[in-house]
Amino acid sequence: MSDDYAGKVSDLHSRRKKNLAMGGDERIAKQHQRGKLTVRERLDLLIDADSFVELGLLAEQQPVRGTEVLSDGAPADGVVTGHGLVDGRQVWVIAYDFTVMAGSMGAVGEQFKAARVRDFALRYRKPIVWLLDSAGARIQEASGSTFAGTGFLFYDQVVMSGVIPQVAAMLGPCAAGTAYIPGLADFVPMVKETSSMSLGGARLVKAATGEDVTDHDMGGSQIHCYESGVGDNEVPDDAACIAEVRRFLSYLPSSNTEKPPFMESSDPADRMVEGLDRIVPTNPRSAYDVKRVIKAEFDQDSWFEVKPTWAKNIVVGFARAGGHVVGVVANQPMVKGGILDSDSADKAARFIRMCDAFNVPLVYLMDVPGFMVGSQVEKEGIIRHGAKMLYATSEATVPKITVIMRKAYGAGYYVMGGKGYQPDVLVAWPFAEISVMGPEGAVNIIFNKQIEASSNPEETRAQMLQAIRAQINPYVAAGWAMIDDVIDPAETRKVIVRGLEQAGEKRTDRPWRKHGNMPV
Amino acid sequence: MTEVKAELVGNVWKITAKPGDQVAEDDVLMILESMKMEIPVTAPRAGKVSEIRVKETEVVKEGQVLVVLE
Repeated sequence: MSDDYAGKVSDLHSRRKKNLAMGGDERIAKQHQRGKLTVRERLDLLIDADSFVELGLLAEQQPVRGTEVLSDGAPADGVVTGHGLVDGRQVWVIAYDFTVMAGSMGAVGEQFKAARVRDFALRYRKPIVWLLDSAGARIQEASGSTFAGTGFLFYDQVVMSGVIPQVAAMLGPCAAGTAYIPGLADFVPMVKETSSMSLGGARLVKAATGEDVTDHDMGGSQIHCYESGVGDNEVPDDAACIAEVRRFLSYLPSSNTEKPPFMESSDPADRMVEGLDRIVPTNPRSAYDVKRVIKAEFDQDSWFEVKPTWAKNIVVGFARAGGHVVGVVANQPMVKGGILDSDSADKAARFIRMCDAFNVPLVYLMDVPGFMVGSQVEKEGIIRHGAKMLYATSEATVPKITVIMRKAYGAGYYVMGGKGYQPDVLVAWPFAEISVMGPEGAVNIIFNKQIEASSNPEETRAQMLQAIRAQINPYVAAGWAMIDDVIDPAETRKVIVRGLEQAGEKRTDRPWRKHGNMPV
Repeated sequence: MTEVKAELVGNVWKITAKPGDQVAEDDVLMILESMKMEIPVTAPRAGKVSEIRVKETEVVKEGQVLVVLE
C-alpha cells in the first residue's frame, strides 16, 4: 500500500470541500441579502433528506479557446447537477449557482454536466427540474462561431416534451436564449421580485434598441404571471417556489408511460357535495366563484391551481377525486362572465395537452357563455386561439368527464368537452342551458320579424324568450340521450369518481399520422 | 390613485358605488353587461371612490376607465 494513500484521500476531501463552498462566504452573504437561498440550500429543500447524488462536483471552469479561468476554478462551473428523490421518486436536477460567475452557463457546466443530466432524465424516464438563477450564457466562452456547436439544450427539451415532466423554477434572472428553458417547460413558478426572464437582458436591450428598462420591470413575475402567461404561479420566496415544484410533481407520473400517483384520501368518494346551492345562482346571468365549486367537489385540500393570475376567466389546475389525479378545466363566471377569449383558450389548450401527455384525466366544469365576439378579438386572432382549445380537447384521449353546470352556449360547449368531443361522462345540472347561443341573442335572430311586427314588442320578446328557454333546458337533450344524465349537483363528486373508474382502462385508436397540424 | 378599468367591451348595467363611498377590496363597484352576462367590476384595493366616469347604459370599451379610487 502506498504511504501516500491518506494524503491522496485527504486531497480529494479538500477538493470536495472547496467546491461545496460555492462562490465563497462573501458572495453567499450577498445572495442571502438579495433574499435568495444558495443553490445548495435550495437543493436541500427540493430533495428528500440524504438522497441527493451529485455528478460533476469536481468540475471547474476550463480555458475554452484560451479564456482566462477564475483563480478558484469556478466551483462546479457554476451549476450543481445530479439526481435525488422527491417524495420518494427519482428526479434529475440542474441547479445554477449565482455565487459562481453569476450562475453563467459555461462550457463545462452546459456541454458536459447539464447535458448528462438531460440524457439521464430521458434515459430513465424521470422528471427534470431546472433551478434557474443565471446571468445566461458565459459570453467569453461562447463568443465566436463555435456558437454553431451549441443549442442542444432546447432540442433536448423538445424531445423530452410529453415524455417526462419538465419544471423550470425561476429563482433569479434568466436572460437571453436560456429563457427558452421556461418557455418549453411544463411548469414555471416564479419568485416575486427576485426572478425575471427575458430574451434579452436589460443591457442587451439598451444596446439593441435604446430602451431603458430593468430586468425586473421587463420580465419579473408581475409581467409573466399576469400579462404574458409565460410564468405559471407567482410565489413569495425561494422556499415557497421549491414547495410549489414538489407539489406540482406530486400530481404527475414520472413519465408518459405511467399513471399519475394515486393517493388514498380520507374524503369519501361517494360524499354528497354540500353547499353548492349557496355558491351557484340558478340565474345564468349571475356570477359566482367557480373555485369554491371545485374545492367543494374534489378531495379536501387537493386543489392545486396553475396560472391562477393570468387569463382568470378560465380556471385550470390539478385536484384529486377519490384519490385519482385529475386536471380540472372550469369556466370562471366571476371574471369576464367566464367568456372564452384568446388568452383563456391558450391557457386551457396548453393545460389540456399537458394532462393528456401525462395520462391525467380531464374534468370539465362548464358554465360558458361562448367565445367573445367583436372586432377587438378578431384582430387578436380569436379563431386561431380558440382553435387550439378545440384541437387540444379533440386530441386528448385521457378519460374526459364533462359536467354542464349552467351555460353551454355555442362553440364554448364544444371546447369544454361537449358530446362531439367524446367525453366518457357527460352530465348536466338541472338548471343547465344548452344552446347554440344565449337565449337573449337567439330571440332577436329567430323571432326578429314577429317582434318587429308586434304591437307590444317587449311583451312578444319576453314570450319568445320563454319559448326558447323551454327548449334549451337539459331535459330536452336528456330526452334525446345526447347527454348521459341530469344530476343533482350534490352528486357531482360521486359521478366524477365513478366516471374515472369507468374509464380507467380507456383506449382510443386513431389513424396513424406523424403528427397533426395544431393551430399555434 | 387607482383607475379601475373595463375588462372587456360591454354596457354599464348597474352602478352600485357612488363618489365618496369607502370601499373594501373586492367590493362591487358596478355591474357591466356583456355577452348576456352580468360582470361585476370590483375594487382592486380598499379606498375611497373619488370619481365614477361612466353612466348606466353607456357602452364601454376594453381598458376604459370606469371608476377612480383615491
